[in-house]
Amino acid sequence: MKRAIIFSSATAAGLAGVLTFHTAPVSLTVGGLVTGGSGASNSGGGGSSTTTSSAPPPTTTTPSTTSTVRSKKSSSPSSTSTSTTTTAPPATTTTIAATGTRTVTGEAVNYYFGILSVTVTATGKKITKVTIGQLTDGGNYRSQQIDGMSIPLLEQEAMQAQNAQIQSISGASYTSAGFQMSLQSALKKLGI
Amino acid sequence: MRHHEEEVMGTIVTFDLFDERGFHETAVADAFADAAAVLHHIDEVFSTWKPQSPISRLRRGELSESQVPGELQEVLDRCRGVKAMTLGWFDPWSMPGGVDPTGYVKGWAAQRALTVLEKLGARGAIVNAAGDVAVSGSPFDTAPFTVGVVNPFDTSKMACVVRVDSAIATSGDYERGDHLIDPFTGRHATRFASATVCGPDLGLADALATALVVGGDELLRIVEGLDGYEAFAVRPDRSWTITSEFALASEVAF
Repeated sequence: MKRAIIFSSATAAGLAGVLTFHTAPVSLTVGGLVTGGSGASNSGGGGSSTTTSSAPPPTTTTPSTTSTVRSKKSSSPSSTSTSTTTTAPPATTTTIAATGTRTVTGEAVNYYFGILSVTVTATGKKITKVTIGQLTDGGNYRSQQIDGMSIPLLEQEAMQAQNAQIQSISGASYTSAGFQMSLQSALKKLGI
Repeated sequence: MRHHEEEVMGTIVTFDLFDERGFHETAVADAFADAAAVLHHIDEVFSTWKPQSPISRLRRGELSESQVPGELQEVLDRCRGVKAMTLGWFDPWSMPGGVDPTGYVKGWAAQRALTVLEKLGARGAIVNAAGDVAVSGSPFDTAPFTVGVVNPFDTSKMACVVRVDSAIATSGDYERGDHLIDPFTGRHATRFASATVCGPDLGLADALATALVVGGDELLRIVEGLDGYEAFAVRPDRSWTITSEFALASEVAF
């Protein structure tokens, strides 16, 4: 015994501001996701992982923001790695005068299915845009399937950080080793 | 709260554990490692990107279905059930290159990993596999988990927030890739800009979300008739529809 479907129209204009997300300044250690170098013959097969921790939230009845701190991980060719964790606030380590808007493209990475590069735009120390600058896959069906990179993990985490009321995000998304490598190189160029 | 990222299945799967009492670090590390191992094992069997995986060999005809590992047979059987349930709109056998159960496997794998994390006994746990989210317990004392759904018109924003007590999956026309294929025409097609399904089986929710995006309103009627599953579908004109018990926890905004 099922009920009627509810139809509704969006009232986008008035409510858009409620869920707008602004990129937060980020101390980037995205490079923690180290992969086995370019041209890896197996995609996504590595076991690289990072573990981060933060102090438990104060005991209250209302949800509170928890911070996750990414830790730098030592580069290693093996699939296991160690990581250090810290509860201190992330330190920003910019090495250039971070003013103005700059757009930088990370190195082109030869990943299993083709060539990929990531373009990053930053204003000051704030990353404002992350997109795929180049993607060639030779028309390979399989590579097309993994090219559905719509939400970099970075953006997802920034979204979550902006909204203390949610614990996760559901949306078609994909990140790959190649994306992370090119992203890391772009961030290095930006000095972020 | 403890967070872990595992690069596997061609994406990054995240684990989160919640407990205000704190954690025994070794137990947490072990739980993360065990859950990650489950995912890597599944990847070895089901990855169509690994040329020697059982699924790849099946697709090439080197193995018959009766010769592949039991868990692959089990998944294919489940996919047959989902294909029938969706009147053919979810059809792994209509994918180019051979049978491809990926649209079910991602969610199914995430839930198997969650089962491992649950053994730690923390108050709450989440596994997020590229937007397919399975939850157990709760993040705080009495509150349920709440999950944001990506705005299909601007993927840097959320369209709404949903209360989730088991699992949620979202598919959208902003996914590039060949899996959004109309099984009846063999061509890429999307009728909804995005679709989100909540329900107890994440593999099924994953498959239903994909079928919804491709098939449109007919799938909404099917989900409406499916106890325990609720959907939120967004049209290209920004109108949206939910089944009557979809647990929205916010306004919907694009």
